Amino acid sequence: MPEQYAIEMRGVTKTFGSVVANKDVDLTLRQGEILALLGENGSGKTTLMNMLSGIYKPDKGEIRVDGKTVSIDSPEDAKRLGIGMVHQHFKLVDVFSAADNIWMGREKAGLTLKGDRYAQIGEMVKKFGFDIDPKKKVRNMAVSEKQTLEIIKVLYYGAKVIILDEPTAVLTVQEIEKLFEVLRRMRENGHSIIIITHKLNEVMEISDRVAILRKGEYITTVNTADTNEQELTEWMVGRKVDLNIDRPVVEKTRPLLEIRDLTIKNDEGAVAIDHVNFYIRGGEILGVAGIAGCGQKELCEAIAGLRPIQSGLMIHKGDNIVGLSPKAILEKGISMSFIPEDRLGMGLAPSLSITDNMILKNYSEARGPFVDRKGGREDAQRVIEELEVVTPSTETPVRRLSGGNVQKVLLGREIKAGPNVIVTAYPVRGLDINSSYAIYNILNQQKEAGVGILFVGEDLDVMLALCDKIMVLCHGKVMGVVHAHKTSKEELGLMMTGALDLTNKYEDKPAGYAKDTNITDEELRELEQREGEEEQP
Amino acid sequence: MEMNQLGVVTTFVHNIVVYNIPLLYGTVGEIVVEKSGSLNLGVEGIMAVGAIFGYIIGCYANSMAVGILTAFLFGALCGLLFAALTVSLQANQNITGLTLTTFGLGVYFFVGNGLKSVAWPAMNDYANIKNGFADLAIPGLSQIPVIGRGLFSHNVMVYLAVAVALAMWWYLNRTTPGLRLRAVGENPGAADSVGINVKRYKYVHTMLGCGIMGIGGYYMALNMSGSFNSTCWINGYGWIAVALVIFANWNPALAILGTFVFGFFNTLRVSGSSLAAAFPGTLGWLAAIPTQVYQALPFVITAVVLVVTSVRKREGSGLPAALGLNYFREER
Amino acid sequence: MRFHVVKRDNCPLWKKLCLYVLAVAAALGLGALVLLAMGVDPAAYYYRMFTMGMVGNKIAYKTFENYLKVFVPLALTSVALSLAFKMRFWNIGGEGQFILGAVAAATVAFKLGPSLPGAVTLVLMCLAAMLCAGLYGAFVAVLKVKFGTNETLMTLMLNYIALYFITFLGETKADWNFYLDPKSARPIFASFADIVSFPKIPLVGKFSLNVCVIFTLVIGVLVFIYLKYTKHGYEIAVVGDSAGTAHYAGMRVNTIVLRTVFLSACLIGLAAAFKVGTAGILSTAITDDVGWTGIIVAWLSQMNTAVIFLVSALISMLRYGSTIAAATFSQVDSSFANMLQGAILFLVLAADFYTRFRVVSVQKGGKN
Repeated sequence: MPEQYAIEMRGVTKTFGSVVANKDVDLTLRQGEILALLGENGSGKTTLMNMLSGIYKPDKGEIRVDGKTVSIDSPEDAKRLGIGMVHQHFKLVDVFSAADNIWMGREKAGLTLKGDRYAQIGEMVKKFGFDIDPKKKVRNMAVSEKQTLEIIKVLYYGAKVIILDEPTAVLTVQEIEKLFEVLRRMRENGHSIIIITHKLNEVMEISDRVAILRKGEYITTVNTADTNEQELTEWMVGRKVDLNIDRPVVEKTRPLLEIRDLTIKNDEGAVAIDHVNFYIRGGEILGVAGIAGCGQKELCEAIAGLRPIQSGLMIHKGDNIVGLSPKAILEKGISMSFIPEDRLGMGLAPSLSITDNMILKNYSEARGPFVDRKGGREDAQRVIEELEVVTPSTETPVRRLSGGNVQKVLLGREIKAGPNVIVTAYPVRGLDINSSYAIYNILNQQKEAGVGILFVGEDLDVMLALCDKIMVLCHGKVMGVVHAHKTSKEELGLMMTGALDLTNKYEDKPAGYAKDTNITDEELRELEQREGEEEQP
Repeated sequence: MEMNQLGVVTTFVHNIVVYNIPLLYGTVGEIVVEKSGSLNLGVEGIMAVGAIFGYIIGCYANSMAVGILTAFLFGALCGLLFAALTVSLQANQNITGLTLTTFGLGVYFFVGNGLKSVAWPAMNDYANIKNGFADLAIPGLSQIPVIGRGLFSHNVMVYLAVAVALAMWWYLNRTTPGLRLRAVGENPGAADSVGINVKRYKYVHTMLGCGIMGIGGYYMALNMSGSFNSTCWINGYGWIAVALVIFANWNPALAILGTFVFGFFNTLRVSGSSLAAAFPGTLGWLAAIPTQVYQALPFVITAVVLVVTSVRKREGSGLPAALGLNYFREER
Repeated sequence: MRFHVVKRDNCPLWKKLCLYVLAVAAALGLGALVLLAMGVDPAAYYYRMFTMGMVGNKIAYKTFENYLKVFVPLALTSVALSLAFKMRFWNIGGEGQFILGAVAAATVAFKLGPSLPGAVTLVLMCLAAMLCAGLYGAFVAVLKVKFGTNETLMTLMLNYIALYFITFLGETKADWNFYLDPKSARPIFASFADIVSFPKIPLVGKFSLNVCVIFTLVIGVLVFIYLKYTKHGYEIAVVGDSAGTAHYAGMRVNTIVLRTVFLSACLIGLAAAFKVGTAGILSTAITDDVGWTGIIVAWLSQMNTAVIFLVSALISMLRYGSTIAAATFSQVDSSFANMLQGAILFLVLAADFYTRFRVVSVQKGGKN
């Protein structure tokens, strides 16, 4: 008997400019089931779900709701079709109360705002098993409360299909349990649920089936009962590919950069990096692996001087770099090329030419009042040739380059400054094979010249081949620092999802402490003292 | 106080209201527009457009109601233009507003001067208008000494202004569409995600607010000593209104108070000398202050208010968080 | 058939130009309709306006000189405003800065003019104007940088304060008021044209070129070089494009903002000095709305110095031309120029949409 699915997506494709976010994706959601949507960062999960919720329109493909082909052109359409989505970035009005955030989308709300709406909402909130004060203003709420409100909102509008994008990322263990109870209850009441998540243990606990996406393409869907975490990890990251990336053996120096007990908060006030220790030697590439949002961004920003830290030490060649301005850090020889999620973020001025972006960090060194574009142009030309940047000329505005070429320009500029520590994040994201190899070669050249490199990446195959050591972060904590040639993709995958903790595996001291450290005992004592003070009530 | 002094004070209070009601219209109208997320710098021009068309057509129709409606309509038309450019065509709000001011004033002088030579209606020839603009005393309240005549004996457009201000307060804070409008101005993405039609809300409320401003312009036309002379235009009320919005914390009810406070200083310019004459002991110095100081005073006060509010950055500010930003759903 | 708006990656220059020219033509067309409605022949009107009545005119040279008197302050002011706009600092205070510059220049002319050689006085006038206007603008920049005060509204307020200041000077007959003509009972501004005035270079026939024109062109070139080739110009470009990137590169964004706004206001003061030094007399209408028109010119030119000169030339033609045409076509008030200007800008804003976005048609069901 042909099943009627609650949701069916067939051949869905979505492109942004030249980036293919979803390619020919099929997805089915049965009535009354909980489907987990699993995939690495950049695999296209959120984009796919945004098409169900009416924020994006697919370029190709078909969407069927309850067996009928539909066109979801706006969030209102989605709402009417009974599809509700709880987004990762909350869509709440800060100055409104919880009740008003829900009330504003209510279909038959009448003309006047009656005071009893608080009671109405309050009742319904309790009915769903949540505990939110309907009069409380969103801006006074904790992150987890806001999350709860978003879920309530969706339920209130009577959604039959509910999509949750990484809902447990901001919840405590108890709240996750409560959420799962609610999800189970909703399933019994006939709702169908899609949950985007990275946490394999939760997938195993709550879902009926799991669908996996990888690099924008659909891999497979399996029954949760028929699989296990190992298998899922393999689907998520793919079979091990033998890359021919060189890993030259270089004599290493004393640690150039040491991070001790570093704690950093993110923009929303939650802890992004939690008491992290690691070090980078000259002539070494240290990879940083982890799921999107595990704190890499905040870590890079802190090292570059763009984000203040809560506590901890950052010692560069024996000098403390905590609190220094970005320019001072640059002068010390720490260079960062970071490509945040929204591509042309800081680091590049989008409307200016490649040449102009080349001279960004050292334009003031030119003599006299004029800018030295000649030198910049030569540098630009060199970068264009060496990294094979596809561009009409050195004067093309950076904004017009495709994503991959933008990264090449960025990295090229950083390397030109002759740093001793390079922090690079996703340098090969969106690049084709040849360009990627060019980047690896450059990084290796720098390594051979004695530079220490922190490589935040997303392709585990690449990192296993290129890096000397790999540090895995999960929710801001270090899960282990392992030698690349001694570990495996599966091991990394398990660490990334928090299932495996190797902090004490390889050395006779905690991972991240260098035997020949530059940190003086005095500094350590100070650090302990400061932390002791913090912990006092 | 002697009878004469009493009379002067009463007239003063009366004048505060009379001369400054356009501010109330402009401010309330701009509050509505800004609550939808658009910063409209075209208030000056829109009031001028409302003034000229409202006056001419109102006179020829010999009906103040027609005048008010016309002024509203033409103001709303300007609002439509602004919305079309900034909401649908994603144009920069500042530039669009400023151009609207130049354009609106241009239309004002063009039509006004063009008609002057041909067929300019003089308000006194049209009885309905003249009578319509006469003072209407509220029974009972207007008997209160001093403030009675000052506050409660005014022409119908004054009462209309207060009514509109209170109505808008009620609309914004006590109705569902008002709630949705505020959502649009605070976080259009959130509003969009619950199915609120952001575009429609912006269009409708921009037109509504600009229409209200237009009525303010019409009032100014009527108020210019009864014989509206379009070669001059009282500079700056539109800009003060934009600043008054901040002073009133985007609250139409507070705007009434704000108008009064600003009006106080503005009216000193006109009535300062008579006050000085009536109270030579205490207020004699008022006459010595040059009139240009009075003219500049509203702007000085506004400037001070601007600085103070930006220094303090209060919690509970009514500033819509998405003010001045164009909304584009697929922003990536 | 439904429509869907998508951001455009790139728009070739020729396409942009076509769209803008189309917009201008459309605006002129709308203007023509209005003229027709008034019973005026649009062709004749436009002809008179764009030639500024110089054809077949025996004193055409005088018209051209007067045209230049409109062009110079507008071009210079627009260039000045573009400096601030490039950094997304909305300096709407052109009017106020111009007024202060004019008053400062006139003060120097009255107080120091009689005792110093003409050239020296002129230089001092320019410097005084630049300083006063510059400070008037920098004041707002300080507030913005320190407190985040909205610069649009603040500069607006300062405009009116300056306006009433000059009105005060022009209407208050008093002993201390040397700005006023002592011989007149009613307060009117005194002329200092015979004390000091910008020299003119005789060129062809009876036409002499005011040196201010040359200065303005030179300044235009200097600003162009400043923006394109100097470190300051580079900083302005980066700050305006992405303040985050500027901060990351170690630029002191606040200093850059202050410096540029000061410079912007300075140039406006200089424009005022040029105007006052040529006219020889103050007036409450000394700005001739150049602060407002300059904003429109700067925006239409997309803040490009060279294009600003071109657009200023055209808009000046429009404005001056409409006052000339008003003499012949008395029903068409000179504020027609304001309307036309506005219409041009509205249509260019609309055309701009098509350079940044594409409208795509999508079939229902998502299938293409």
